[in-house]
Amino acid sequence: MDMKGDFMGKPLLSVKNLSIEYEGASERTLAVDDVSFSLNRGECLGIIGESGSGKTSIAMAIMGILPSSAHVKGSIMYDDVNIQCLSEGERNMYRWGEIAVVFQNSLDVLNPVLTVHEQIYECIIEHTSLYKGEADRRVENLLELVGLDPQVSEHYPHHLSGGMRQKVLIAMALSCNPKILIVDEPTSSLDPWAKDEIIHLLKELQRQNNFAMIVISHEIHIISQLADRLQVMYSGCIMERGYTEDILQTPMHSYTRGFINSSPYINPYKDLWGIPSEAYSSSIRKGCPFYNRCYQRLELCSEKKPELSYVATEREIACNRGGIITILEAQDIDKTYEFNGNEILACKGCNIHIRSGETVVLMGESGSGKTTLATIISGVLEADSGQVQFLGKRVEGNNFTSQMGGIQIVFQDPFSSINEFLTVEEAIVEPLTITGIVEKDSRRHMVKLALKDVQLPYDDGFLARRCYTLSGGQRQRVALARSLIMQPKLLIADEVCSMLDPSTQANILRLLKGLQNAKGFSMLYITHDVAIAQKIADRLYVMHEGSISEENLLDIR
Amino acid sequence: MSNLGKFAIVIIIVIIVLGILSPLISRHPHNLPSGSALESPSWEHWLGTDDLGIDIWAQICHGARASTFVGAGTALLAGVGGSIVGMLSGYLGGDSDRIIMRISDMAMALPDMPTTIILGAFFGPSLKNIIIAISLYSWVAPARLVRSKVLAIKEENYMKAAKSYGANFWHMTKVHFLPQVLPLIAVSMIRLFSKAVVVEAGLSFLGLGDPTSKSWGVILHHAINFKGIYFTEYWKWWLVSPVFIMMSFTTSLAIISRELERLWNGKIEWI
Repeated sequence: MDMKGDFMGKPLLSVKNLSIEYEGASERTLAVDDVSFSLNRGECLGIIGESGSGKTSIAMAIMGILPSSAHVKGSIMYDDVNIQCLSEGERNMYRWGEIAVVFQNSLDVLNPVLTVHEQIYECIIEHTSLYKGEADRRVENLLELVGLDPQVSEHYPHHLSGGMRQKVLIAMALSCNPKILIVDEPTSSLDPWAKDEIIHLLKELQRQNNFAMIVISHEIHIISQLADRLQVMYSGCIMERGYTEDILQTPMHSYTRGFINSSPYINPYKDLWGIPSEAYSSSIRKGCPFYNRCYQRLELCSEKKPELSYVATEREIACNRGGIITILEAQDIDKTYEFNGNEILACKGCNIHIRSGETVVLMGESGSGKTTLATIISGVLEADSGQVQFLGKRVEGNNFTSQMGGIQIVFQDPFSSINEFLTVEEAIVEPLTITGIVEKDSRRHMVKLALKDVQLPYDDGFLARRCYTLSGGQRQRVALARSLIMQPKLLIADEVCSMLDPSTQANILRLLKGLQNAKGFSMLYITHDVAIAQKIADRLYVMHEGSISEENLLDIR
Repeated sequence: MSNLGKFAIVIIIVIIVLGILSPLISRHPHNLPSGSALESPSWEHWLGTDDLGIDIWAQICHGARASTFVGAGTALLAGVGGSIVGMLSGYLGGDSDRIIMRISDMAMALPDMPTTIILGAFFGPSLKNIIIAISLYSWVAPARLVRSKVLAIKEENYMKAAKSYGANFWHMTKVHFLPQVLPLIAVSMIRLFSKAVVVEAGLSFLGLGDPTSKSWGVILHHAINFKGIYFTEYWKWWLVSPVFIMMSFTTSLAIISRELERLWNGKIEWI
């Protein structure tokens, strides 16, 4: 379970199979579901997750301050002592003395009728054997330690700013020299400057005092600066665990990726998209907790709860599919065009892979072979050598483009991608008519749904309109609807916006990203526009004279 | 549609009705003398009589049958046949396209009239053979027209998309090609119609037509062959009337085809 345990001796704290259930008036809510983890001396473990994922319950369980309505199962071992088995008196000694907590900053955590000095003083007298004078000096030391003016000690909590109150709370927590400091949402209501100050302070204090730390937060910004290791929680379960840097760089669980994609700190240029829908009530517990929001779920996932297991060195995830799957892999694609005896090299040993649910941007100047590669990937064009695998099967001809849940391609020129003599309905229903997959009766309904998805009217009048009466932007939406009706797992968008005016372009782009977020398909977006790439890409490939290379998004300017 | 177009349509309808209802419209038979020879127009014989005393109005009405039959036959045979060849040629591409196009080059390189004369002489005089003779070289125009349109459509992205869904030739033709090439086919068929009427008249004029058919060309042929037609005033009704009806017919067709082109370019709901 623990990663450093083997070479750093026994862990300081180890939590095994911890489950916490709250008994409500009518139903029981499982807040933490069979969670195990350990904490080594001097390390900082980050616990991250959406609100209600059980982070704070774990902190409270470790501190032994859960309300009486909570039922706790499993063990919490601190230095070979099971905290669960201690009496209230013994536990009180551990609290503050061995393990201290800094609560979410708010006015009511501090006693409003005591001065800062009295608050900290009381804490020291209660939990240590220090005398009055020593305790007074200790208070001054602590205030100095957390960078507060000694004069503050005579103030009442309501006199202080949020940042200062947070520092007082930290000073209180450190008053008894704990071995473990649990910090719960240390900075949630603070301004950015105060946040930075607190982070800096916590880091510095940890360096000086060498205590172990558990940081609980939903802010990736905070966690990434403090935590060495990170565990991602969802609905009371650990979904992914590993080194902070690795996880943030390449999340391997789709929940983690969704969570990271929602962070403006990680994505300064990109549009932010949260994970659609909400976690379902924890009382129904069967299968994977992330099942209803996951886009690569299988039948199996509704039945089997995934175990946390290693997928790479120092990386564990809980997913029945082994994390985010790679849906498309193209290897060593070569393509040469022959024209009047001249050979034109369009693709040279191109390798590309696309994982489920991500947006990959293929960028390059005109004539660099982007469209050729995209057409080869879709199977419409045959490569000279190399092969493309889609969901583990080889892409040949139109085997995946003519299939539900396969590959779809949307073209650049909206005036050419739709036959303008057709009605909107005829244009969109075409894939179904050709493939004959869906019964005739339900086709019209599907057309309407697709039109609704692309935010076009879906009344009978609009369905009967000829496409030549539509604008470029509307036609592109109709083309998109035609692709969406096949419910693709991979959508190839070939410069879909380059012929549209800026406003329409922005609308279509947001529509595409929104649809991707809602439907969970992967997207290969082809463009020559750096700014657009930065706006939407999860990963970036740059193509130049037929060769392709993966680049870091932040390196291109 | 302009008033001129409507007027042209009325003319065409009138001529077709004349052909169909010729026994009712003309009081006299078209093949038997009904008066004395070479009468000038009168209440009894609207357009006079020819050298055998046969009523010319009756001949003109009856001739409309032969002329429209040749026109419609050619338009259908060469127009539809040529369009199908053009569509296949454009869709298939490659070698089949190359072969078809070389054949069409050959058909185009031959001068129209002499070829028809030779073919007419070769097949022998009958309306059916005239239709075949005219069709043999006039399928090229619709074929080329349709082929170039199909080639253009083939490059459209919606065709690539349809192909990626696994569409076959039938689907592509029904949904994408036909609706777009139909206006082209219709216009070129109208052109073929009037061309065939003129060519048939030309052949008959030269004596290569079907002598039993009594088409407008045959009337013309007889009139021209009457010695002294230019020295008398008989030409005023005997010669002018078939020429006039032919001119009104072909001009009306030309006007209609121009009107249709104008309409369809404006993408009016017509399918």
